[in-house]
Amino acid sequence: MKKRWNKIKTFFSKPYNVLLVLFIIVLSILVVIPLISIVRDTFIVHASEKSRVHQAVGSFTTYHWKRLFASEFSKSLLWDPIRNSIVTSAWACVVSILIGGSFAWLVSRSDMRWKKFLTKLFIFPYIMPSWTLALAWKNFFKNIEITGSNGIFFSLTGIQVPTWFAYGEFPIIIVTGMHYAPFAYILIGGILHNMDANLEEAAIILKTNRLRMFLRITIPIVMPAVLSTIILVFSGAMASFATPQFLGLPVRYYVLTTELYASINGTNPGVGYILAMIMILISVVIMFVNQRMIGNRKSYATVTGKSANISIFHLGLWRTPISIVVFIVVMCMSVIPMITFALESLLSYTGVYDFNNLTLSFWIGQAQGHDTWQSESGILRNPEVYRTLWNSLRLAFTCSLGAGTLGFLAGYCIVRRRGSFISRLVEDLTFIPYLIPSMAFSAIYLSMFATKRGIIPSLYGSFAILALIGTIKYLPMASRSGVNSMLQLSPEIEEAGIIMGVPWVKRMARIIVPIEKTTIVSGYLLPFISAMRELSLFVILVTANNRVLTTLLLFYDEKGYTQFSNAVNLLIIIVVLIINFAVEKLTGASIEKGVGG
Amino acid sequence: MPTIRLENITKQFGKGSLAVDKLNMVIKNGEFVSLLGPSGCGKTTTLRMIAGLETPTEGEIYFDDECVFSDEKGINLSPDKRNVGFLFQNYALWPHMTVRKNISFGLENMKWPKEKIEARVDEICKTMRIEEYKDRYPAELSGGQQQRVAIARTLAPNPRVLLMDEPLSNLDAKLRNDMRAELKRLHATTGSTFVYVTHDQSEAMTLSTKVALIKTGVLQQYCPPLELYGEPSNLFCADFMGNPSMNFVEMHGKKDGDSIILENDDMKLRFTPNDKIDVKDENEYVLGIRPEFIRISDKEKGIESKVISSLPSGMETTLSLRTGKTTLSAVAFGSIDFAMDSTEFFDFEGKGYVLFDKESTNKLSLGSLQIIR
Repeated sequence: MKKRWNKIKTFFSKPYNVLLVLFIIVLSILVVIPLISIVRDTFIVHASEKSRVHQAVGSFTTYHWKRLFASEFSKSLLWDPIRNSIVTSAWACVVSILIGGSFAWLVSRSDMRWKKFLTKLFIFPYIMPSWTLALAWKNFFKNIEITGSNGIFFSLTGIQVPTWFAYGEFPIIIVTGMHYAPFAYILIGGILHNMDANLEEAAIILKTNRLRMFLRITIPIVMPAVLSTIILVFSGAMASFATPQFLGLPVRYYVLTTELYASINGTNPGVGYILAMIMILISVVIMFVNQRMIGNRKSYATVTGKSANISIFHLGLWRTPISIVVFIVVMCMSVIPMITFALESLLSYTGVYDFNNLTLSFWIGQAQGHDTWQSESGILRNPEVYRTLWNSLRLAFTCSLGAGTLGFLAGYCIVRRRGSFISRLVEDLTFIPYLIPSMAFSAIYLSMFATKRGIIPSLYGSFAILALIGTIKYLPMASRSGVNSMLQLSPEIEEAGIIMGVPWVKRMARIIVPIEKTTIVSGYLLPFISAMRELSLFVILVTANNRVLTTLLLFYDEKGYTQFSNAVNLLIIIVVLIINFAVEKLTGASIEKGVGG
Repeated sequence: MPTIRLENITKQFGKGSLAVDKLNMVIKNGEFVSLLGPSGCGKTTTLRMIAGLETPTEGEIYFDDECVFSDEKGINLSPDKRNVGFLFQNYALWPHMTVRKNISFGLENMKWPKEKIEARVDEICKTMRIEEYKDRYPAELSGGQQQRVAIARTLAPNPRVLLMDEPLSNLDAKLRNDMRAELKRLHATTGSTFVYVTHDQSEAMTLSTKVALIKTGVLQQYCPPLELYGEPSNLFCADFMGNPSMNFVEMHGKKDGDSIILENDDMKLRFTPNDKIDVKDENEYVLGIRPEFIRISDKEKGIESKVISSLPSGMETTLSLRTGKTTLSAVAFGSIDFAMDSTEFFDFEGKGYVLFDKESTNKLSLGSLQIIR
């Protein structure tokens, strides 16, 4: 008995053990129990479902499961959205790999012009919120049949674009693909760039012609990067909400996320919770496939070879034409969207692109006192806008503080006890939020925290619930970078302090933290930027009370306040760009090198 | 098998940084030439220029009488047309291909018939002792096995010249020794011309028929290895070759007939050149003494010194001897050890002492030494 007690005492005398146990408790409450709670929620009657289920609120029912899987509505509620999600995600992979992969090849293997400038701009969609391109597409191609006004394209050319081109599947694929193209570029380009140049030189010495070298040496070697791009883009596209919401909704084209949003916000949350579970399931399957593939994949360790001017492919006559085409594509992905936002926010009447129709009133105009939207005050004079901006910043700050600190501590204690069961458990627990698509994760939190649970009051509509979910959702990001950086730090460095009798807090503050300064800073900044441009994670949890900028944008868009939504969008983008710029200047690390999504 | 001729080869990277400066060199048919020098001296660049992987800024390269590069004539034969083999430092095996495929890939490019390819792969795998690994991937092989696969891949098409870029530097010490012997035998059996880049002086010494010692892009000396060791043309060459390295003693010299009286605070010596040389009446010199030319002797003949350190390795013992302010390293052959701080006497024998001019650092002459009391 005494022995046992002593064992426990020794265990808890190590600070990292205390931390690990705390992590297990906290993450169980914030990750595991909510996961169980959502299962329960698929079997009970919710307040908004009283009239359709005809049972007491909170009582047991199989209504949701039956409705989703075995009713005349299952096609429109379940199978169509699943099909649409898979189709758009799969094609988005193709688009992003084609665009990003060719760009990567052109940058690292050819003598294309303006490389430096083009790479900077090409990364843009990655830094910007995911819906940027969707809104720009809408501004450009919207047609009068659906929206009631025509877009910029019509006023420039007089051509009425067909509805399939303006809304639904096609633009969602293109826009999502373009949004993730920088991803493909970073991953594939990274391999092309780091690929041992000697591998290609060895082929040339052995008299391989260019095409054969490309097909037999280069492509197989970048294949692992292509596969990880597919995994990332596919799961990213499956979880994306804003793009299908902006481009699919006008033509009633639903994917899983938008269907989930509609159900939870509508009269049947139970169905929404089941959809959330399906999304988690799909995501787990993708991760499983990924793990299996990594296991089978031969690891192509890349050693940077010596200078490789031999590998530069001379485009010859095609050099200028190709450079110009790439320039145009890159402009369409980065600069032109900004111009459309600015332009749309300045239009007095939407759809009329005339110089006389320009006004600044949506930015700085004073409220007219009438009850129409056109007379609401401009966003720079609107106290509501400032309140949400402040709320966004406050939220991003809280999330980054929480995720950054917890992530670093988690990294520290996971690495210190590496190989033990308890460390594996915590590592897995911190990873779970990564597996759960944002939308499904917020559905879980809604089910868990919308009512009073024990000592925890109902958090629905509060700042706390947004801060909590943001912190947990970005924890994997921060803890992974924490683990990676701690792995590079040999334990001897801390042990030298232990031998000299330096207490733990001082060891952390004076030894570990100063050494890991840069990683810690980026551990804080990545969640900050992610939270600033987050929509799908917050959208079902906000009310008028705890609104953030991104959901204000959605609110304006749903109401059809085009000028306001474009202006707010521009505001978000400016804030994100300023922060990103500041980060690059401050830390020297750029977001595109980090792990962020 | 051709003779390779480099004429005034210059390579400039960007502005100002000269990697190779007006290099002139002839590599004769069937030779094993090492390009030796400290890292960053331009030896790898030279090798890559011979292969055609790097383009010289100026100069001409000939394979026999065929010009493969000339900046003036605008000739630049691509690597695949030069018929050379290239062995990369990190092997550059294609990770997604099996050993068999790695070797046959180049032969397929040359449109060899299938049976001939198979026969050649089998043959070369036998030579390189990698038959049992033919269906493995490079990641499943040890460093030494990967190395042999890389050599097999390079040799398979029977290149007329084999260029090697520090091929043994990624191997552990024992394996490196084995592979050295293997390379030397390979050179003898294939009869090809080998050009070998290394920064390891003992590797260059043991393997090659000729060594080209390069310093910051400039060729210092190009001769057989033992000549480079025994008759270094300047202080850099003398210092680079040999381990433990040559002792350098700065001395003031006065002409005395055919010989020179060398003197510093600790020693007074007479240097007699092997061949007559013309020197100033008085000059500052650096005397180069190989450790093995210092002989432990008795009190009457030798100079008194104190043993600073003694490192016996069994076959020989490396000593550090101090006399006055001068410290010299010496090698005593056989299994002997010396007590620390004990007193020993040494003298000089043979004709292998090298006299350098202190100002120009160039070798003046080889000669013998006598102690003057």
